[in-house]
Amino acid sequence: MSIKKFMQSVRESLGLSDFEKSGKKKSVKNLLKKLRNREDKILKSLKKKIEKKEKKELKEELDIISLQIKNGKKILDKLNS
Amino acid sequence: MLRKILLPSILIILAYGFWISPDFKEISAGVAIFLFGMLTLEEGFKAFSGGTLEKILQKSTDKLYKSIGFGFVTTAIMQSSSLVSVLTISFIGAGLIGLTQGIGIILGANIGTTTGAWLMAGFGLKVKISAYAMPMLAFGVILIFQKAKSLKGIGYILAGLGFLFLGIHYMKDGFEAFKETVDLASLGVDGFKGLLIYIGIGILATVVMQSSHATIVLILAALSVGQITYDNALALTIGANIGTTITAVIGSLSSNIDGKRLAGAHFIFNVVTAVVAVVLMNQIIYVVEIISDFIGIANDNHTLKLAVFDSLFKIMGVLMFIPFIDKLVNFLNRTLKTKSSKAEDSFDSVKYLNDSALELPSISMAVITKETTHLYENAFEIITHGLNLQRHNIVSSMPLDEVVEKEYSKEAVDIDDFYNRKIKGIYGEIIDFSTRAQSHMSPEDIETLYKLKLANRDIVEAVKDTKHLQKNLVKYSKSTNEHIKAQYNTIRRDLAELLRNINIIATTDEEDVMIMLLSKAKLHTKKYDILANGTLDNLIRKGLITNEMATSLMNDSAYAYDISKNLIEMANVIFIENNSEMKSIGEDMLISDDEIDSILEQKEVS
Repeated sequence: MSIKKFMQSVRESLGLSDFEKSGKKKSVKNLLKKLRNREDKILKSLKKKIEKKEKKELKEELDIISLQIKNGKKILDKLNS
Repeated sequence: MLRKILLPSILIILAYGFWISPDFKEISAGVAIFLFGMLTLEEGFKAFSGGTLEKILQKSTDKLYKSIGFGFVTTAIMQSSSLVSVLTISFIGAGLIGLTQGIGIILGANIGTTTGAWLMAGFGLKVKISAYAMPMLAFGVILIFQKAKSLKGIGYILAGLGFLFLGIHYMKDGFEAFKETVDLASLGVDGFKGLLIYIGIGILATVVMQSSHATIVLILAALSVGQITYDNALALTIGANIGTTITAVIGSLSSNIDGKRLAGAHFIFNVVTAVVAVVLMNQIIYVVEIISDFIGIANDNHTLKLAVFDSLFKIMGVLMFIPFIDKLVNFLNRTLKTKSSKAEDSFDSVKYLNDSALELPSISMAVITKETTHLYENAFEIITHGLNLQRHNIVSSMPLDEVVEKEYSKEAVDIDDFYNRKIKGIYGEIIDFSTRAQSHMSPEDIETLYKLKLANRDIVEAVKDTKHLQKNLVKYSKSTNEHIKAQYNTIRRDLAELLRNINIIATTDEEDVMIMLLSKAKLHTKKYDILANGTLDNLIRKGLITNEMATSLMNDSAYAYDISKNLIEMANVIFIENNSEMKSIGEDMLISDDEIDSILEQKEVS
């Protein structure tokens, strides 16, 4: 067995190769949670009576957040597969 | 001058010693192998310092007792206080820890070095240590030749330990053989005079060997075969403790002001502790006897008693200094200041780059990132003033329309002058430092460094574009033609919004805010581009602006577009990719150009 393979098997048996992956997953999940909270807040604000300019800005933020949540889900799916 | 005389003198003395005594040759070779072992060991630990050690350092130094504990543990593990000192100086230089924490680490490292004396006295002198050295060297060298960084690091650590053990073996053998021809103990000097002479020898030996650890090991080797008396060995140990600070002071000459302050603290601490130890010598020896009796050290076991003395004397020094650390920090901040003339004051210089940071790639990267942020802060000032805006209004929550109304100056500021004083020098230093740092870096680090260099270039380009933009901006933002005036004020407003958002990104800890604002900035850059959104065509078609105005507006909107693009790129590298939580996901979470287009298309339809 080459040293590279040996190190790989040690990493796997100690669960070190998943360490990086799980860290990334945790970051994405945290971020998604924050984005969803923000999305909820915007949706609630949009239901209220607000100025046209403010409404436009909130809608723009909502568009961005929706795309970001979509991107976050994609990353998560990739990490889970 | 001293260096020029010192080196040839040492070489001549050594050559003469080798010529008259083969045993002296063996002792010297032992010291040389031991020192080489320390260098190799340091090299090994450096391989593992790509983040882990630094993260622990940052988290373990928020309280003084933690700093002292960190200094003790790391020095005990690595058996090298110099590597810990280098790391500490680099971190202070990078602004990652303060001087108080740095002093705490140095105090802890001082106690940590005593573990070397315990290992040598309790283990190294009692067993045939060279038997362990040989396999370590063999395994170590094989691993050094491997490509993987971690294997290489383990190889260096094994080889380093092997060399340390081999060095100790040769020193011990050399002193044993030396005793048969010359009895150095007969040259021992008693009393206070002897104390001072041997302190002097201890200082000299440590300055020459650049390691108090090596001196103490040498003292123990000589003491174990009775080549020096116990009293003289105690004095040599005190001398070694002073000598090591001289090494640190010399080392700090290439470091920045914080490194010098830390070396100053190290010097004051060790010299004061040494003076106290000399004054209280009899009392300390008495306490050493009590402790030795208590832990069961035989009365004639002088090597272990020396280890007790070494520990007691250093712990005493640390306890003595703890209440005065804040005063020591104030004193060093007052006495050691950066020299600068009035002319130099108007030229801003680098804050974080220093040669001591070049020792470790991760620290080089940290200081380059910090310096780039410093460069951006200067650029922020220039761009803001170039747009005739006030900095404090931008970073406030004032409505942007009001920010645009409040001008910075009635006349255009001299951006060239600002650039020469606050950008050019720092930018040059960052590029020079990056080139030097690159030679110690892995391919992945070089890639990150390349992005940082690009971020620096983006900042400089943004400043240069502001200069081009400023000319017409000053002219048309006061024009009697309301349409052109409105367009130029819109450019100012959009850039003010971008600068405000970057400021929030730089100061917030909320990752969702970061990516939201940066994505928004990307979207607005495209949305507000008057060439793409048809505003310019409209103004020309309706004859609201002259041809000359249209040409200026077209060029200047391109400059504004480039400024935005450059600043967004820079913010992405500095604040998103360098954020530990966002590093691996930031890029994917930001909205892409296609996604921006889809949002803009949606708007057009609605």
